[in-house]
Amino acid sequence: MAEQAEAMRATVASMLRGIERYNPENISTLERYVELQARENTYDLEANLALLKLYQFNPGTYQLGVACQILMKALTNLPHTDFVLCKCLLGQDQMEDDNIKRIMYLHDLLEMCQFSTFWEEKHQYADLVTGVKDFSDSIRKYICHVIGITYQHIEKHVLAQLLGNIDEQTLQVWMNKYGWKEVESNLVLIANQEETVKTKNITEKIEFDSVAGIMAACR
Amino acid sequence: MYNEFVDEYESYPLEAAENYQYADRLEEYGERGHYPTYSIPEEVKKYITYFRDAIRDGNVYDIPPLYVDFNRLTEEYYKTQSWPDVEDLYGNKLVEQEGRDDIFLILYRELYYRHIYARVPGGPTIPQRFESYYNYCNLFNYILSAETPVPLELPNQWLWEIIDEFIYQFQSFSQFRSKLGKKSESEIEMLKESPKIWNVHSVLNVLHCLVDKSNINRQLEVYTTGGDPDSVAGEFGRHPLYKMLGYFSLIGLLRLHSLLGDYYQAIKVLENIELNKKSMYSRVPACQITTYYYVGFAYMMMRRYADAIRTFSNILVYIQRTKAMFQTRNYQNDQINKQTEQMYILLAICMVLHPQRIDEAVQSSLREKTLAEKMSRMSRNDTAEFTASFTFACPKFLSPVPPPFDATSANYHKEPFQQQLKVFLDEVQQQQQISVMRSYLKLYTTMPMEKMATFQEMSEDDFRNALLCFKHKMRNMVWTKGTSGLQGDFQSDSEVDFFIDKNMIHIADTKVAQRYGDFFIRQIHKLEEVNRSLTKVKV
Repeated sequence: MAEQAEAMRATVASMLRGIERYNPENISTLERYVELQARENTYDLEANLALLKLYQFNPGTYQLGVACQILMKALTNLPHTDFVLCKCLLGQDQMEDDNIKRIMYLHDLLEMCQFSTFWEEKHQYADLVTGVKDFSDSIRKYICHVIGITYQHIEKHVLAQLLGNIDEQTLQVWMNKYGWKEVESNLVLIANQEETVKTKNITEKIEFDSVAGIMAACR
Repeated sequence: MYNEFVDEYESYPLEAAENYQYADRLEEYGERGHYPTYSIPEEVKKYITYFRDAIRDGNVYDIPPLYVDFNRLTEEYYKTQSWPDVEDLYGNKLVEQEGRDDIFLILYRELYYRHIYARVPGGPTIPQRFESYYNYCNLFNYILSAETPVPLELPNQWLWEIIDEFIYQFQSFSQFRSKLGKKSESEIEMLKESPKIWNVHSVLNVLHCLVDKSNINRQLEVYTTGGDPDSVAGEFGRHPLYKMLGYFSLIGLLRLHSLLGDYYQAIKVLENIELNKKSMYSRVPACQITTYYYVGFAYMMMRRYADAIRTFSNILVYIQRTKAMFQTRNYQNDQINKQTEQMYILLAICMVLHPQRIDEAVQSSLREKTLAEKMSRMSRNDTAEFTASFTFACPKFLSPVPPPFDATSANYHKEPFQQQLKVFLDEVQQQQQISVMRSYLKLYTTMPMEKMATFQEMSEDDFRNALLCFKHKMRNMVWTKGTSGLQGDFQSDSEVDFFIDKNMIHIADTKVAQRYGDFFIRQIHKLEEVNRSLTKVKV
């Protein structure tokens, strides 16, 4: 299956070269590719943007369902700003649609790190989430990224809560994945942040390049 | 040669511009095929004849000064009325009708219509917009369909302006087409009947063809690895006309994609251009400035603030140092000055959202009154200020397709802008707690979460979310190496940073030592420059 996605990636990449990128005949292939990405949990931002651009050029061909799927897939690639890039290619009337608005809301929650609310309300979005394989785990990856850059030690119950009130066993899986260790009861060591986050003293450094000119002139 | 021309025509008695009665001509001009002779000032006649001969003879050295002189003559004779049209050139026997002067006439029309767009009150009429489009088609067909490179060499400045103007007129047409409110039925009819004119596909096609024909991407690749671009340029790409049109078309695509809201593609088309280095391609200042404006803007929209800030400060430093070049008033410089002003605003926005250290000279401009006030309003989350700043500084977004002509919405032309504004304001909204938090965090080195949450009147959970959001938003993708501007690593260059250990926030600030070196280096350069100019003065 992964092979199929790889083959598709190559085909699509060759389809999008040069002026061919704007050929409306590509639309159906790209739509199938979005479907494949959702089904196989693969991802190709560039192809999806090319499809949104074709919709922009040929408004009559716009498929709401596909656009929703592209946006949902973009959420799975947080912390990257893919979602914003997709949003920029939508039109105002397309933004008016209820499903699009619901996805925008999910995006807001995730970008503002309101993870508890996200998990609490997730069941209301089952219709959008169902088609996207491993959606919740992709979001957990993103949450782990944010935790990884923020925490040195985190309370275990907070960690479990941020990841969507997961049970002990699942929590262990995620901790193993990121190499996070339980050091005391109810305390998990994420990373040593003291080394990376410290007060910077910017002292002046003069590059050789900037004085080379002057030195040459002084000869 | 050209100097002779200058000496010669300065002795001509200058005729008053009124002698050229354009308005009357329109009424009298009835039957086709019969061109009455209207008076064109002698100086202009002379100019056109020289220009024609320079193109006929392929006289590379005469063309650049003649091109520059177009502006001077415009100031003199055609401040607000159009240049003589081609029929008048025939009528005055300044050009030949059959074949020989075709290329000159295409180039003349390019200047003629561009001047109408820029200077004639009321702007171009629909037929003029159409004619100008066809003229560009003729020009690009001539260049692109040739089997061997065409024997034409134009100054880089002009080639840049051809591409720049081509996209400008497309942009202007798209905007014009979408403003249905003020159009008469016959105008709407005309637009409906001509869906091919200024079509987005044709515009993209021209730019892509110029890129392909010149092999510019391959040339740039070889160039950045230190090789000789000529070795891969091919027959066309070695020719300066094709090479530079290819390069400028990449910048054109950057602009076009940005106008359509496709920031990813905008940056991607430049993937072979090393932006952070000076290169032999960067000799047209207007092109440099346009490039940095759009790249910086795209980065800002992608929430790559550190990259946007670096891009804007680089070019603003360059502009500050070469300011003298842009002081003469003409419409190209007006454009540059406007774009500079816009970039200061964009830089101000980015610096509010992502405070960091920048070049001292640029920083001091941000401290100037109006900008400083804007920044302080924005850091207090004043949405109106964010809106106003964005509106002023953003490009003129456009819709690639015609409006539904039967719709009555008068604001159709504003929709693309509204959408980009919304994306931007949504982002600002998501970040709105950050600046307040930053100002609190700055005051401490360590602080229990609980206590700080109380200060900000938040529940501990909400406050934790806000802290996570701070970390997430301040960690941007930043370009580190290579030519592709899309690549990069996640970095956090924020002035104030922190981490949470259990329930304690540990804050790291940035302390900056006074800098002297930069100042001295700059002064030494200035002194040298003065010295150099002094030695040139002959007493």
